[in-house]
Amino acid sequence: MNSIQHLFLFTFFFFFSIVLVAQNVTIRGTLYDRENGETLIGATIYCPEFEKGALSNEYGFFSLTLPQSKEKILLRFSYVGFSDENLLLPGDKDTVLNIKLYKGIALQEVVVQADSDRERLNSTQMSVANISAKEAKLLPALFGEVDILKTVQLKPGIQSGAEGSSGLIVRGGSPDQNLILLDEAIVYNPNHLFGFFSTFNADAVKDLKIYKGGFPAEYGGRLSSVIDVRLRDGNNQKFSASGGVGLITSRLTVEAPIVEGKSSFIVSGRRTYVDLITNGINKANASNPDFNPIPGYNFYDLNAKANYKLSDKDQLFVSGYFGRDVFSFNNEFFNFGFNWGNATLTTRWNHVYGKNLFSNTTFVFSNYQYDISNQLPGFSFNFGSSVKDFSLKNSYFYTLGNGHVIKAGVEATQHNFSIGRLRAGNDDGSLSFTAGNNLKGFQWATYLSDEWEATSLLKVSGGLRLSGFVNNNTYYAHLEPRMAAKYSLNPILSLKGSYARMAQYVHLIANTGISLPTDIWYPTTENVRPQLSDQLALGMAALLGKNIFLEIEGYYKNLQNQLEFKDNANLFVNDDLENEFAFGKGYATGMEVTLEKKNGRIQGWIGYTLAWINRGRFESLDGSKIMEGRYFRPRYDRRHDLSVVAIYELNRRITMTSSFIFGSGDLTWLPSGRAYYQGIVGENSRPVTAIYGDRNNIRMPSYHRLDLGMVLKFFPSWGESDLTFSIYNAYDRRNPYFLFLQPELQPLEVNGEVIAELPVGVSARQVSLFPILPSVTWNFKF
Amino acid sequence: MRNLILLLLALLGLLSCGLEKEIEIKLPEYESQPVLECYLEPGQPFRLLLTKSAFFFDPFTLDNPLETFSQLLLSEAEVQIKYLDRTIVLPNRLILDPLSGKVYNYQSEEKVPNLLNTQFELYVELKDGTIIESSTFLLEKIPFDSIVVEKNNQNKARVLTYFSDPPGEKNYYRRMLHFGSLDSLIQDFTTDDSFADNQLVFGTSFDYAPGDTLINTLFHMTKEYFDYYNSIVNSSNLGGPFIQPGELTVNVFGSANPLGIFTGLNFVRDTLIVPE
Repeated sequence: MNSIQHLFLFTFFFFFSIVLVAQNVTIRGTLYDRENGETLIGATIYCPEFEKGALSNEYGFFSLTLPQSKEKILLRFSYVGFSDENLLLPGDKDTVLNIKLYKGIALQEVVVQADSDRERLNSTQMSVANISAKEAKLLPALFGEVDILKTVQLKPGIQSGAEGSSGLIVRGGSPDQNLILLDEAIVYNPNHLFGFFSTFNADAVKDLKIYKGGFPAEYGGRLSSVIDVRLRDGNNQKFSASGGVGLITSRLTVEAPIVEGKSSFIVSGRRTYVDLITNGINKANASNPDFNPIPGYNFYDLNAKANYKLSDKDQLFVSGYFGRDVFSFNNEFFNFGFNWGNATLTTRWNHVYGKNLFSNTTFVFSNYQYDISNQLPGFSFNFGSSVKDFSLKNSYFYTLGNGHVIKAGVEATQHNFSIGRLRAGNDDGSLSFTAGNNLKGFQWATYLSDEWEATSLLKVSGGLRLSGFVNNNTYYAHLEPRMAAKYSLNPILSLKGSYARMAQYVHLIANTGISLPTDIWYPTTENVRPQLSDQLALGMAALLGKNIFLEIEGYYKNLQNQLEFKDNANLFVNDDLENEFAFGKGYATGMEVTLEKKNGRIQGWIGYTLAWINRGRFESLDGSKIMEGRYFRPRYDRRHDLSVVAIYELNRRITMTSSFIFGSGDLTWLPSGRAYYQGIVGENSRPVTAIYGDRNNIRMPSYHRLDLGMVLKFFPSWGESDLTFSIYNAYDRRNPYFLFLQPELQPLEVNGEVIAELPVGVSARQVSLFPILPSVTWNFKF
Repeated sequence: MRNLILLLLALLGLLSCGLEKEIEIKLPEYESQPVLECYLEPGQPFRLLLTKSAFFFDPFTLDNPLETFSQLLLSEAEVQIKYLDRTIVLPNRLILDPLSGKVYNYQSEEKVPNLLNTQFELYVELKDGTIIESSTFLLEKIPFDSIVVEKNNQNKARVLTYFSDPPGEKNYYRRMLHFGSLDSLIQDFTTDDSFADNQLVFGTSFDYAPGDTLINTLFHMTKEYFDYYNSIVNSSNLGGPFIQPGELTVNVFGSANPLGIFTGLNFVRDTLIVPE
């Protein structure tokens, strides 16, 4: 143990020694899937006698402290999709357990939801949503490509950025205000192909949890959400392979024990194959001089993870991700390449001290970069940007006997930014152009939180996170208090409230409404101050009958130091990017209703959001200062958002699924006036030059869509397989992707001379992206 | 089965048609503004075009061209340009330059002198008494260092245009390349010198045959013109997800709430015939 850990533990025990009590027993351990040895996240451990329970954490670890008893204590272990396990344990001594749960044979046979719902009801945590890869795989998907981020968009309070995009707008926050973690590593660009697909391969993902508010103190660095994606550990019982063939990609996952029961690995990859087809077409037409080669495009992902159980108290994990989008266009005179992607590496050591102190030490590397290169005879051009992080985190999870659950930790990240790096010149070196900035930033945080069950009805949690950022000689530090409380009005109804302050020290420079790989991450500097948010949420949770969980939440979020770009900002090759920024404020308020049923033959949820978002008081946003001091609504100010998701297991072989979404139209910015621009001698006139007024002045038509799906399972002798059918946009709705104005021009002739072209008619046009899109994917597993 | 697949494909093709359609929208109200374009080009008369902007959904009718044109133009203004101790009055008269196809509605007989770093001041009083004001100056011409023609093995040529960026203050450039005549623009873009060490080069691809005429032009722009032109280019997009629009970056001001540009315009131009 290093000195930092010693110091930390000393402080920790000193601080909390006053609350240590005796006369309790602690049951701790880890919950596993018996079939493949995967740890189970969010499984419920419940003691009916004392009406106390706990949830396994993101590493599968649990710790439950109960009053000492001479009698044996009954504990029930349960997890959705698994048969529950009841154990009688000694009531007079501590017990260490590794529990392995059996998968339920089919969804409707699982009757363990009640414990999970009860724990949810009793938790102070609010504003959280969970999606398992299993759920995501059942639901219909665009082109049949299962996308766990798009599934999250079906939850209330979480909107998609644009049609088909996996970008997320959470409670009015911009897409860069989401902390996206893959096994604790930040994923800076979670998108392939302009956001139509996310970087998360559902075959490798175990679980996704998204926090929209009430953030636990261990999370920070972004204002609006935390999306915590956990990769599977790999099967430590037997060799297993799974995969699939779809319209866009093929996937293959291989997993096996390294030492049976102690260690395992998983490797999962997927790749698009459109470029293989276009390459073939290009080759077939190579001799045709009139043929224009089709540019090549593909993306691929590779996830790998290995773990080793050193002892009952120690486990090591190493996981990594590497993904790239590759675009190329070559001919005999031209050699253009554009590639972008993320790489992450997480090395993690879990250790259990004594009977109920769990620690996690993690080293993380994360990199996002894009590169554009072009080579002409005699000349070359290379442009790109990147962000590269090295992080070290150390966290502790401690269960005290008197109802306290303590979490504490420290973390530090070294950011390295390369922004707008340009190298261009000729081969002999006589010409050379360079541009770009290399910036660094050191981000750190320490936190401490305590969840305390004050009475059987009242549970409170409080935390304090101290975070900071250093860039050259500029220092920032912020205290981020976190508070939450739950009060049970009766066994089926709880009231909840939370407050969280968040600080964000890195910012995304994105000038358009869609996710582009050229979007740049930029650090906090002397002029670019950290973004801050304060979010207050109040709500209620209720159990309706045995199966239905109802949550209603209202929230208000205040945003400071928000970034917008000045009109006509040049963000591409610009060594003085900060001059293009404008800073202002914002706020978001709304209400969310979730009605959820997670067991039985019919499962699903209904989510509804009513929301308002505003931004304003930006200085120098436009030349004429029209917007200065005034608020305006951002593009994604969507008033109503409704999603209805249903999964119906017809029988063992057939599962039918559907999802319906409705959203008020997004806003768009269209000109209100037009001017005639003649220009100088030698250039063409522009008869219709747009004059833009207030930002985001038009609301687009509303968006609604029904997707249908069916999973048809087969059980051949070698394993299992299925055909997953999806119909995206089943009733072929023409949803708006964007609007534009289209003038009709005619020449104006005076004395036989054309002196100008003028608009004689104007129409507003709507462009839609996806019509009805059926797809089929074949999946297998053995 | 094959027929069924063909039928399905045809159905899909039909369904994917119509992804663009006309819709009804209501744009915010807009009040017309004067729009002024005045480029001071040494050796050319003092001249400008003064028009007025319109609500986007108010199209013209071309039944009576002269009347239509008068809807576009802003007449009866008093226009003056001052420099040193001189005041040039630009009378309101419609001039069509038959060579360039450009129209001006205020023009003097006086020619713009090539006075570098001299302030030119514009003063316009509109018929309603409102004012437009601005000032500008002429920048020195930046000469070409060389124009190089290179050929590939198919006897197709490309043209590389080299020039040196003067050290010191930040410079802004506009490069135009015309094919055959000034009516046929094939390259037109702006750049600043922020990523140039000393020399810059503009190039073409191997597209030209012996005998082709290429006209190279390099404008040394004022910062105001550079910003204005780029905002004009940006504002030619009339919606869509890939652009971030913005207001026009103008350098004309006053009680008339004008749009437009008043700038000096110095440039070098070279005509090249691709050799055999």
